[in-house]
Amino acid sequence: MKQTLQLVLLLLLISLTCQVTNSQAIDLQKASWQEIVQAADGQTVDWYMWGGFPAVNTYVNNYVATQLKAKYNITLRQVPVKDIAEVVSKLVVEKQAGKTSGGNVDLMWINGENFRTCKRHDLLFGPFADKLPNQRFVDWGKPSVYNDFGTPVDGMESPWGSAQMVMIYDTARTPEPPKSMAQLIDWIRQHPGRFAYPAPPDFTGSVFVRHVFYHHSEDVNLWQGEYEQKQFEKAASDTYNLLTELKPALWRQGTTYPQSPVRMNTLFADGEIDFSFSYHQAEASRNIQDGLFPPTVRSFVFNEGTISNTHFVAIPYNASDKAAAMVAANFLLSAEAQMEKAKPNVWGDFPALDISRLPMNQQQQFIDLPRGPATLSNQELQAHQLPEPPSDILIQLEKGWEQHVLKGR
Amino acid sequence: MFSPVAEDETRTRTIETGHLLLLLTPALLIILVLFGGGLLLGTLQALSSQPFTEKNALTFAHFTAVLADPDFATSFALTLYIATVSTLVAVIASVVVAISLVRCSAGNRVLNFFLQIPLTVPHLVIAISLLLLLAPTGILSRLCSFLGISKGAASFPLLVNDPYAIGILLTYIWKEIPFITFMILAVLKNSGNELNEVGRTLRANSWQRFRHITLPLIAPSLGAAGFIVFAFTFGAFEVPYLLGRTYPMVLPVWAYKNYTDIDLMARPEGIAIGLIIAAIATCSLLLSQGLMQLARRQREYPGE
Repeated sequence: MKQTLQLVLLLLLISLTCQVTNSQAIDLQKASWQEIVQAADGQTVDWYMWGGFPAVNTYVNNYVATQLKAKYNITLRQVPVKDIAEVVSKLVVEKQAGKTSGGNVDLMWINGENFRTCKRHDLLFGPFADKLPNQRFVDWGKPSVYNDFGTPVDGMESPWGSAQMVMIYDTARTPEPPKSMAQLIDWIRQHPGRFAYPAPPDFTGSVFVRHVFYHHSEDVNLWQGEYEQKQFEKAASDTYNLLTELKPALWRQGTTYPQSPVRMNTLFADGEIDFSFSYHQAEASRNIQDGLFPPTVRSFVFNEGTISNTHFVAIPYNASDKAAAMVAANFLLSAEAQMEKAKPNVWGDFPALDISRLPMNQQQQFIDLPRGPATLSNQELQAHQLPEPPSDILIQLEKGWEQHVLKGR
Repeated sequence: MFSPVAEDETRTRTIETGHLLLLLTPALLIILVLFGGGLLLGTLQALSSQPFTEKNALTFAHFTAVLADPDFATSFALTLYIATVSTLVAVIASVVVAISLVRCSAGNRVLNFFLQIPLTVPHLVIAISLLLLLAPTGILSRLCSFLGISKGAASFPLLVNDPYAIGILLTYIWKEIPFITFMILAVLKNSGNELNEVGRTLRANSWQRFRHITLPLIAPSLGAAGFIVFAFTFGAFEVPYLLGRTYPMVLPVWAYKNYTDIDLMARPEGIAIGLIIAAIATCSLLLSQGLMQLARRQREYPGE
């Protein structure tokens, strides 16, 4: 309710104050990169992003903001939001109201369902990604890059980083962890009460359900293009049946689930369960460093791979400072910015670049990054990546899990 | 002799009321605009058929969808169970605490200080503390297995995320006892003693004195405090979210889940649940207000 109110107040403010700053002198689609950089000089980029991760906020406000000011005379203003979906629904309202310029969002951190909504409602400026010089370091041939949760990117957003699901275990307790989903399922059956996953729609719990879904799919890439609903329903109902059948073997006999990955990590650290997992490949190392996990904890990926996704930045159709937003997106993709972001003490985010495309000395810098004892190597991770299914599959699986597995209907 | 003084008093009182209203206006405006405005916008969203789109019409569909959902009955029952049981236990315990405080150590500062601790600790903090204390691998369980009372985590009884909501009830009871105690303590300190002494001279035993003197005296305040606690526990989110089970869930958690659903169309249902909670809490608060009036009248005209 408060959010809606804020939204209305914001809209009021916008309609009262704006409509003056419309000085889009050059045609950005046709301009050369040189001209775009010139146009960006002195502009201010208002970057709306999820603000719940202190390390990210520090990286953006200190490193990125300083560099953009020094290199391009661009002022970066981070606008932290609780959920970028709020900004997307604000854009939907602005689009309906016919507000085509002077919007106060210049850049937003986005992926998955929110990107799909934006694309469907024509809320984005572009295609602009192919105009960015640093795009040449990105491997656009990877399904997890050219598809954002099954929605073709089509240059409407520019990659910023990526994440991959990894399994976490303690070598002192489980010297031989199961190396595939099939083995993990057997392991759960043989060790009742020792496994748990957060209840979807929690992000991390939801990705576990998708791994079970992939286990029941003949081909993971089946879901990337057009698929038949009947095929989906078969695999989905197999997923629900298996998860329902596994319930008695789960933590607390599946009568309740951890409500967040944080709680799952606590259960794992307390020895109530033997596995945790995370959609952040460096989570285990960070928790060892923070003293939450014992030093014997390690991570692994399944032989068949684990789900990974790319997160992007996009520019709204009515952004006031599009040129500066493009320059910022390009800077975010530069080897130096990606390098800084990948440092474990800064953020530890996985680069959006294909490292093998960089000059040799920069490649070496990425390889030499301290990784933490429990983080797998880039090669190991990249060799075991599965794409995310389209977001409508994700939503159907979350709803189906709730209906069939949680409520048993 | 008395009349001019009385007139003067009434005049100052009316001036004070006018003054008071003026002073309160900014605060009242904020409450009315933010709270009333939010409530109004929420109602509009809950009543619109397709929010965030152009095709929009007023409809009760979201409310009927919520009420027809088989989960509504379970969620409602669970919420009612938690609110009622925690309120009743807190009310009974508060009466015992307040009476013993008045009898033995009304002026005991240390005791008063300890009673004030739960008032200042946020619900979230005590919920997390209970989680650390009562979880199967929590401190209490470790202590028990260390002392040989239980055989490790598996044999320790389930006290959090459990089917009987014991963890949630404990949090609320711990938190609300001091609140109710202080509410009735004010009444007891003011008028309890003389009446009790009269009772004693008339040879009423302690049960009779409690039944016929103390209880009627504190009943309105006790009821008022109870309804406030009920309204709060019925609408509170964080404690059941942390200490409850994944399913069934209490109404506030259900509302939150719908409101934050990735599907924007689930929002109106979330708001509809929120409004149902708000309606029930408002009823409870009105009852509390009524009892408060009664208590005030009783204090001013104790004979009636």
